[in-house]
Amino acid sequence: MILTATELAAVQRHAVEEYPRESCGVIVARDGERALLRCRNVQDDLHARDPERYPRDARTAYYIDPADLLRIGRLEADGYTIAVIYHSHVDAGAYFSETDRRQALVGDEPAYPAASYVVTSVVQGRVEAMAAFRWDPHRRDFAAVDLGLPSSETSLR
Amino acid sequence: MAVTVYIPTPFRRATNNRDRIEVAAPSVQRLLDELEGSYTGLRGLVRNESGEVHHHINIYVNSEAIESLDGLGTPLKDGDEVSIIPALAGGGR
Repeated sequence: MILTATELAAVQRHAVEEYPRESCGVIVARDGERALLRCRNVQDDLHARDPERYPRDARTAYYIDPADLLRIGRLEADGYTIAVIYHSHVDAGAYFSETDRRQALVGDEPAYPAASYVVTSVVQGRVEAMAAFRWDPHRRDFAAVDLGLPSSETSLR
Repeated sequence: MAVTVYIPTPFRRATNNRDRIEVAAPSVQRLLDELEGSYTGLRGLVRNESGEVHHHINIYVNSEAIESLDGLGTPLKDGDEVSIIPALAGGGR
C-alpha cells in the first residue's frame, strides 16, 4: 500500500484546490502511524524574486517551503520517515519528469530511497490520473510502481 | 561549547547514517568546517568550492534561517540546534 483511501482522497483534493498551481506535500510514518502534511509551494515566490535562477512558476514546478521542510526534518528527527512525497502536474500527465528525477537525486544517489513519489495529473481542474514511482536499486533509476488503485478508480474523471 | 546538528536523510550516507551530531563551534561557518573535516563525504553537498552554501540548501539555527541572522557568520551558543535542510522540489516539465 502506498496510499490509504483517505490519503488518496486528500492528495487528489489538494491537487484540485491548488490548480492551476502544482500542489506538494509528504506523508510521514512511524510505527504504523501516518500523517499527511500539506506543504506550501513557494515556486511563484522564487520565480518572482529571481526569474533567472528559477525560470518556472508554480504552474510547472514545485518547491516546498523551507519552513515546511524544517517541520518535516524535526519529525524525521523524532523517528518518522518520509513514506510518500507527492505533487501534481498541471494540464500534464502523471509521469516522473526529468526535473522530478533530477531533483530527487543527490549526486547519483536517491535523496529519499525509501519514499514513493506520487504524481497527480490535473487537467482543466479535474484529476485525470495518478501514478507512483520509487527508486529501483537494481536499475539505479526511478521506476513506476503500482499505486494500488481499485479498478474503479483507475479512470479518475 | 556544543551544538546539535540535524543531518537530513539525503546526507546521512555521508555521516555513517547518523542523524544528529554534536559539534563544538563558535559559528555556522566553523561548524561546517568541523563537519566537513570529520565527514569528508559532506564536502560539496552543503557548500560549493567557494565556501558558499548551495542555493538549494537551507540552514537554520534553532528555527531561524541563517539568511535572516548573520549568514555563515551566525554565532552559536551552547545548546543551539542547527538544521541543514536540502530543497524538495520538482516539476511537470
